[in-house]
Amino acid sequence: MYLDKLKLKNYRNYENVDTTFSPDINVFLGANAQGKTNLLESIYVLAMTKSHRTSNNKELIRWGTQFAKIDGTVVKETGSLPLELILSHQGKRAKVNRLDQAKLSQYIGKFNVILFAPEDLAIVKGAPMLRRRFIDMEFGQMSPKYLYALTNYQAILKQRNHYLKMLQQKKASDQLYLNVITEQLIEYGAQVVVARQEFLQRMEHWAQEIHKTITLDQETLTFAYKSQVPTEALTDVKAAQAALQELFEKHRQREIEQGTTLVGPQRDDVVFLINDKNVQNFGSQGQQRTVALSVKLAEIDLMKELTGEYPVLLLDDVLSELDDARQTHLLKTIQHKVQTFLTTTSLDGVAQDIIQNPRIFHIEAGQITTD
Amino acid sequence: MQQYPQPIANLIDSYKKLPGIGDKTATRLAFYTIDMDEDDVTKFAQNLIAAKRDLHYCSICGNITEQDPCEICTDKTRDQSTILVVEQPKDVMSMERMNDYHGLYHVLHGVLSPIEGLGPEDINITSLIKRLQKDTVKEVIVATNATPEGEATARYIAQLIKPAGIKVTRLAHGLSVGSDIEYADEMTLIKAVEGRQEM
Ligand SMILES: Nc1ncnc2c1ncn2[C@@H]1O[C@H](COP(=O)(O)OP(=O)(O)O)[C@@H](O)[C@H]1O
Ligand SMILES: [Mg+2]
Ligand SMILES: [Zn+2]
Repeated sequence: MYLDKLKLKNYRNYENVDTTFSPDINVFLGANAQGKTNLLESIYVLAMTKSHRTSNNKELIRWGTQFAKIDGTVVKETGSLPLELILSHQGKRAKVNRLDQAKLSQYIGKFNVILFAPEDLAIVKGAPMLRRRFIDMEFGQMSPKYLYALTNYQAILKQRNHYLKMLQQKKASDQLYLNVITEQLIEYGAQVVVARQEFLQRMEHWAQEIHKTITLDQETLTFAYKSQVPTEALTDVKAAQAALQELFEKHRQREIEQGTTLVGPQRDDVVFLINDKNVQNFGSQGQQRTVALSVKLAEIDLMKELTGEYPVLLLDDVLSELDDARQTHLLKTIQHKVQTFLTTTSLDGVAQDIIQNPRIFHIEAGQITTD
Repeated sequence: MQQYPQPIANLIDSYKKLPGIGDKTATRLAFYTIDMDEDDVTKFAQNLIAAKRDLHYCSICGNITEQDPCEICTDKTRDQSTILVVEQPKDVMSMERMNDYHGLYHVLHGVLSPIEGLGPEDINITSLIKRLQKDTVKEVIVATNATPEGEATARYIAQLIKPAGIKVTRLAHGLSVGSDIEYADEMTLIKAVEGRQEM
């Protein structure tokens, strides 16, 4: 799939944008703080309804205005699809084919993007929460079913934590209600962990292959999914339910004492291993970078496998950080298959022989000009 | 800055009490109102007061009504053996519009949500249980919305009622996940009632 047209109104430092992209490679070129990342971000937001840089959508609205609008035409094998997202101080509205979408799980996934940013290293180096966020954002795009189970899980978890706090402080005593929301949490939680296991296995397969090529067969990359649910129960929703049920029963008293939920996928983590060693603890900076790259590149293939189409690639200031070999590998992977947007302050560090005929967009103070 | 005359300022304040109306819209509505025919404005004001004064909650089912108990609760031709439980009075309207369900209703006025401070005592559950003590009721259909909270409320009610040996069903097919009854079209609702499942 590719993004053909993009219109922006009052998005960050852009007042009005109406532009058409190349289905191949698009370069956003300009000095710092001119709006390169903002433009790239608007494409990401059109796909995900939220930014990778902030969880507060209000920051995306141009200062002094009431709402921002992102309008895009995505071309898929099935035809072209108009998407529209309106961000206001009250919330957001999403439209597909000009029709309002009541649920985000009906919107997200229509347009698939993968973003490479310098912060990707955090997938390997950062806290478990960042890895869970990564998994949820990416798998959510590929599977509305996963997104639905996850959103419901999170909504019930919030209610349950609140209720456990009330039980702890003796402001409530109804055990039947606790049973009911625990049962719900178990059902959605089981779907979440089983889906994560399946996705991670598929992703590992692709990442392993890519990592082998980049490291010239020197390193074997493996994933280990760390869940409280035992591995043998992760292949089947019923089995995962039974395992979670047991865990919840065991922790029930402690959960009330501590006033919070102690069991479930909100505590999951993924460990990346190179030749059986944990990269987070034992890997060099270079190895960690390569793992992050392999994992992100694997997403391209995984999305193609699961959705039947290649996603759109967004590269924010990353090309200059990769050495020649990695750059070449990245660009070879995407060539003529994957529509790519990249931001850079100069074309010097970019492997010219690989990028053929890029469409260049000069970005200056929220204005776009093309050659 | 020039001040609005007091009557206009008051009117703007009143409009702002309505959901989804901010300063700008309230001001626009207020200025529109003073340009309206005097008769229309009088009628408008009377309707506002009447809606509040002449409408009550039915002491049996919790629906809004002019007389208590409401028309549905007092209609002996309706099937007295089923009660359909909904979140809001507007859900009763949607169900009645499709003209296919002829049992009784019970309006909860909300769903269980600790975050919003809504526990079992805060929604209309106790009066439902009281209604079930008369043994005319054979089936309770829980038609709360397919949100996580609507689902939890349905399960909670089912657990409460089950020991009494009354059949509890849940609207199952047709209603798309996460959707509100209010938005469902009639065909979907009819299918949902037909395809209800025992809980
Ligand atoms: N909501 C907003 N309204 C107007 N301008 C904004 C808003 N958010 C950020 N900016 C401006 O955008 C610029 C940063 O753009 P960015 O795309 O991050 O730069 P770069 O070209 O270096 O990637 C800054 O000048 C900042 O003041
Ligand atoms: Mg930038
Ligand atoms: Zn009544």
